[in-house]
Amino acid sequence: MPPMIARIHAIVLPLLGLALVLAIWQGTVSHYHLQLVVLPPPLAVVKTLFALLGSVAFWHDVGVSLYEFIVGYAIGLVLGIALGALMGEWRAFRVAATPVVESLRFIVPFAWIPLTILWFGTSYVGKIALVGYAVFFVMVVSTARAIAGVDPVLSRVGRVLGMGPWQLAWRVHLRAAAPTIASAARAAAAVGWIAVVAAEYIGASAGLGLMITNAASSLATPTVIAGMVVIGLVGAAVSALVRWVSLAHLDY
Amino acid sequence: MDDSVRHGGELAFHAISHQYESAGRTTPVLNDVSFAIPAGSVACVVGPSGCGKSTLLSLAAGLMGPTSGRVDWEGGEVRIGPNHHIGMAFQQPGLFPWMTARQNLAVGLRTRGASRQDANATADEFLDLVGLGDFKDAYPNQLSGGMAQRVGIARALALRPRLLLLDEPFAAVDAFTRLKLQQDLKALLKRYRPTVMFVTHDVPEAIALGNVIVVMSQRPATVLRIIPVAPKERNRASVEYARKLAETLACLGVTGDGEHA
Repeated sequence: MPPMIARIHAIVLPLLGLALVLAIWQGTVSHYHLQLVVLPPPLAVVKTLFALLGSVAFWHDVGVSLYEFIVGYAIGLVLGIALGALMGEWRAFRVAATPVVESLRFIVPFAWIPLTILWFGTSYVGKIALVGYAVFFVMVVSTARAIAGVDPVLSRVGRVLGMGPWQLAWRVHLRAAAPTIASAARAAAAVGWIAVVAAEYIGASAGLGLMITNAASSLATPTVIAGMVVIGLVGAAVSALVRWVSLAHLDY
Repeated sequence: MDDSVRHGGELAFHAISHQYESAGRTTPVLNDVSFAIPAGSVACVVGPSGCGKSTLLSLAAGLMGPTSGRVDWEGGEVRIGPNHHIGMAFQQPGLFPWMTARQNLAVGLRTRGASRQDANATADEFLDLVGLGDFKDAYPNQLSGGMAQRVGIARALALRPRLLLLDEPFAAVDAFTRLKLQQDLKALLKRYRPTVMFVTHDVPEAIALGNVIVVMSQRPATVLRIIPVAPKERNRASVEYARKLAETLACLGVTGDGEHA
């Protein structure tokens, strides 16, 4: 395919997909004469979205959700990678930690929501704990696996070059496992972001999830859908950011 | 410090026996192996696959200790752990993929205490020596298999090791590249004169590079014979070479003229 046409394809095809979804949406609304409360047409949602972008309260909600996410994500990332690396490096620790990790990681974050509300109320802390928890387990498992999967030749090379166990762990194993860990970090970002919003749906004093539940209870459906669109966009942006950071430094 | 010529020391294996334990099963790999490599000479260890040749290298490197017996370097027992007198290259180049060729050479020098500047200068010097002067900033995935293998060998040599351990370093490259790499290695060894233990399963390679050939048996391996190689026996067009080849192969149990009845 000539590059010019390839470039046009790269722009036109995604737009075509988007246009198709919007057309079906608009078609459904028109065909069934749906009321605004049931399903607003795309244009109404876009209008609401622009109105939201100009409102301070909206940005506060976005800020709260992002804050909870970023703090929880950072904590889960650091602890998860650290513990996963320990499991990968140290056999005895892996054997001891595996039953705990394996039994806890299948308890989805949402199952913890009632307890976090009981313990932390509707404050930030509960959401941060929840995001941290979700991210932590994704990172522990994939980091341990990535480190165990490092080419043994690289370990031998490191030892022969004169590295001790700490240098080997830090400068060879973690570094060699970094691309795999980074792609797990992307998956964890998605899980963490979903956890924040879900937790806010159920109990929060601010945030995008709360904004949407509030809008729903006052039958402001365009705001509900606009909020959903924002959640999707922020999630995609976070994922793209993590991907960009990891590709810039870990492309090997 | 002038270390452009830096002679190696003597490496000696004394009554080495070694076994691996895994899943409750004991696999003996070495059985009472004794031989010594004189300072500055090249010993090529040949033997059937899986006979424990690589184990011997790991013991010489101090990557592990033998089940019984002892390995001596210059008269003292080799200790387990980082040993700064060794350089080692493997069948795979084993380059760190996140580092350029230069960084791959420099990292070992830095670990052993060289300043960044000295490490980079030495790295450049050795990359020039193996003909990769134009690829100093290339990453391993930008190099061909033969080029990567050169970097792996340059990395071992750049440490200016007094004991160079080579574990089938040319086994994974094509036949032509292999011959070229053998030639280059020979020239480099002449210049730096480390003691060399070269594990290979390629008998012509052993004759081309070794001062002695240590022939090992099937697992659990013992030393079958130690065959000295005279310089004139390395000429592949000579009768002496053919005789040496036949002698070594016979030792490994390969006989006959290659024709089928």
